[in-house]
Amino acid sequence: MSELFVELFSEEIPARLQINARNELTKNIKNFFIDNQIKFNENFNVYSTPNRLVLHVDKIPNEIKLSSEEIKGPNVNAPEKALEGFIRSNNTTLEKIFKKSTEKGEFYFFNKESQKIKVSDLLEKNLSEILKKITWNKSMKWANYDLYWGRPLKSILAIFNKKPLNFDFNHINSSNKTFIDKSLEEGMKIFNDFHSYLKFFKQKGILIDQDLRKKIIQNKINEIINKKNLKIEQNDRLIDEIVNIVEKPAVIVCDFDKKFLNIPSEILITTMQSHQKYLPTFDKKNNLTNNFFVVSDIKDTKGFVKLGNERVIEARLSDAEFFWEKNKTQNLVKQVDKLKNINYFKGLGSYFDKIQRMRKLSSLISDDFLISKDKIEIASSICKVDLMSDLVGEFPELQGIVGGHFARFQGFDKEVCLAVSEQYLPNGMESKLPKKMYSVALSLSDKIDSLVGFFGINLKPTSSKDPFAIRRMAISLVRLIVENEIKIKLKDLIVYTCSIYRDQGYEFDIKKIQNELSDFIIERLKNYLKEKKIRQDIIESSTFLLGLDDILKAYKKSLCLNKNIKKEIGFETIAAYKRSSNILNTEEKMSTESLGFADPGLFKNDYEKKLYKKINDIRKYFLSIGKDENYEESLKILSSIKNEVNDFFDNVIVNDEDIIIKKNRLELLNMLCKTFDNYFNFSKIEA
Amino acid sequence: MVSKIKKKTLTFQDTIFNLQKYWSKKGCVILQPYDLEVGAGTFHPATTLRSLGPKPWKTAYVQPSRRPTDGRYGDNPNRLQHYYQFQVLIKPSPKEIKKMYLNSLSSIGINHEEHDIRFVEDDWESPTLGAAGLGWEVWCDGMEVTQFTYFQQMAGVECKPVSVEITYGLERLCMFIQNKKSVFDLIWNDEGITYKDVFHQSEKEFSAYNFEYANTDNLFKIFEMLEEETKLLVEKKISLPAYDQCLKCSHVFNILDARGVISVAQRAEYIARIRELTKLIGKVWIESQS
Repeated sequence: MSELFVELFSEEIPARLQINARNELTKNIKNFFIDNQIKFNENFNVYSTPNRLVLHVDKIPNEIKLSSEEIKGPNVNAPEKALEGFIRSNNTTLEKIFKKSTEKGEFYFFNKESQKIKVSDLLEKNLSEILKKITWNKSMKWANYDLYWGRPLKSILAIFNKKPLNFDFNHINSSNKTFIDKSLEEGMKIFNDFHSYLKFFKQKGILIDQDLRKKIIQNKINEIINKKNLKIEQNDRLIDEIVNIVEKPAVIVCDFDKKFLNIPSEILITTMQSHQKYLPTFDKKNNLTNNFFVVSDIKDTKGFVKLGNERVIEARLSDAEFFWEKNKTQNLVKQVDKLKNINYFKGLGSYFDKIQRMRKLSSLISDDFLISKDKIEIASSICKVDLMSDLVGEFPELQGIVGGHFARFQGFDKEVCLAVSEQYLPNGMESKLPKKMYSVALSLSDKIDSLVGFFGINLKPTSSKDPFAIRRMAISLVRLIVENEIKIKLKDLIVYTCSIYRDQGYEFDIKKIQNELSDFIIERLKNYLKEKKIRQDIIESSTFLLGLDDILKAYKKSLCLNKNIKKEIGFETIAAYKRSSNILNTEEKMSTESLGFADPGLFKNDYEKKLYKKINDIRKYFLSIGKDENYEESLKILSSIKNEVNDFFDNVIVNDEDIIIKKNRLELLNMLCKTFDNYFNFSKIEA
Repeated sequence: MVSKIKKKTLTFQDTIFNLQKYWSKKGCVILQPYDLEVGAGTFHPATTLRSLGPKPWKTAYVQPSRRPTDGRYGDNPNRLQHYYQFQVLIKPSPKEIKKMYLNSLSSIGINHEEHDIRFVEDDWESPTLGAAGLGWEVWCDGMEVTQFTYFQQMAGVECKPVSVEITYGLERLCMFIQNKKSVFDLIWNDEGITYKDVFHQSEKEFSAYNFEYANTDNLFKIFEMLEEETKLLVEKKISLPAYDQCLKCSHVFNILDARGVISVAQRAEYIARIRELTKLIGKVWIESQS
């Protein structure tokens, strides 16, 4: 048993690319082992630092045995050349070839004897290919070479069973050496096994294992925040990035001048996290403090690192403070007019045009939401003004949030301020969802206006391209409706939006927009249901009869059926439907010639009558429920037809000789299916 | 003992001298700034054009760079509409470039063993030059001091061999070295002349020009004239004069942009027009190289 140990040394590879490369290398090596029947245990590890991508697999057999095998060659009637090729490719001679008949005729065969192969030979032969198969999301070339890699690759160390593996990967020859100084790329050192490699770097404070780095960083941070009575925000993305941009992590506590805490905290947090990769801290009441963490890649023995980072944050926050002080007093209402100079989108007018549309649309929505028309109109009018501020210029990711702060400073109503802050939310599947009705109304009107606009100028996403993130816009719209359980007539809102555009002089093909946008949003609803792990057949069925105005209903019904499909009420409902619809399906004419009801006068027995009565009971139930349908109750009621259906099928022959009786029985079953459609069309559900 | 003697401040001009001397020893041709208004050291033909084609090339130079929109009338401690870049371009990119770079920092007093030097992912793109590259911004204790880029494409053409470009922001770097909070407090020379003495009036006046007084009607016309002239010179197969006209186009566009008279849609169109010119010029230049 031996150990395989490979290190690829390069210039600094960005965090995301490193994570990707680790996964790719793991996958490719595993496939290679499996394809070649090399057994490996689960102790299979891929590590990385910015400069080193390391593979370590322990307890690999030194040899593999390939059992003997009969290899089929060309047909005996094939041209001579085919046989020659067969002999050559199997590295054998004519004498060892024999003929054999098979079902498809007579063929040449070759008996490949069992053989032992050294794993080291296999590795030397294949490692280059394995490395070539690593795909990068972004890769580059350098100098005169043709190799593509995340960043320039400098050396390859490859060891098997304590001996170097020799192979060429493009212009690089593998060896048993690597650079010990990643900065100056100096001091080549020989390593013959992984353990000594790990130990050597550990002594220098360098941690090859990313999980270990993460643990150490987190432990250190926890130790400090416990002592100082602070908290940090859970932010896996940032931590994972930090872990992968250092090899020798040292956590340093820094602070900035407390006066900056007067700036809205989102601005401070964005500066620290996105721009500087610092970890901000919070006190027990979740207020931002002026302490923050820097994870340095060296020990700060002289204090330069702390000093430098504090100076950087000071300069950045001074800038932010300057802009905040300047912008916050600029009257939002007085600036609305200036939005005329700012293009919203080519073909969709200025932002001023957009907020006029949003104002009308949100005003209509306010009727449904029972919220103040005045307030939502104010929110619509001022919501885009922050786009003209220096702060949004500096922090584009804080658009809306910054506007909310301006509004708060200028004394606008609390709900108006919150709506302005949250106008862009949700932004996709994972993002935070606004809950307050003013925020929902503003966000809805923004999204509907954009969707109608983009469809109006025919900039719909294609299967591969969605440069304006229109899918995300639509899925956010679905989330707003479904997760807040909002009952709105989306179709009407789209029609109304089209008419607002028309009033502004846009010549859109309104019918086309309605149809296309409706299909598009329904598709997003399906995706949303899929994300919620709802069965595909249920998803397909849910949107069969329910349209744009019933997004919430479609969602709730799907969820309810999905939950109950294996339980009695779901199972029996579908069984009853299927037994009926199966017969109807064999009688194709039924659908076109149906009267829509059965004639009780033609019933011949109690089973028909009982089923008829039950169907009518269920119909009454569906007529009686208003907007507050309990979907589980509906399923329960549908499933309660079980006995009547079973009795009917056990005792009644639908296919009566008398064609009139037969037709009447089919009508009865058709009534049942149509009644079930009140929940939704079950025809596509797989039993 | 020795450490008690306060080290002499490395002045702004010393920083330039040291970098020039360092890269000169590495075999670079030390050039002087290009004599036209450009937005960055990359626009100097010694980088744009020389990075194209097969011939090896090593150069280093200071390039005054103009970004009209960044002007703040001299009021902001970190923003200028005119500043200096120190630019290094080496083709093909040498194996030991990282070592060379880190040692260049030592030459201006930044020891990489005492500071947290980080290579932070930063992929670079210049829409007007039709250029793209992969590399990093280099952080020193959290401050961005250098752009480090492997050119993959220039003037719409794939770079072969690949050049490496190192761009130091001299003011930033010096603020770090001299421990200054405002660019205007930088010490320029041993006699204590400051950056403010040299450039404050210029920042103020050029901000006024860029934002208020530039005659936009004329500039629109000039842009058209320069564009036409570039195309004509491309037809005559003289790439360097053509490129000069194109650079002027680019600067005129930047002023118009700062004046706020170019809409978002127009902006993309102007950038595309300049890119088209660069591509034409790139082709002519490459032909001249074989």
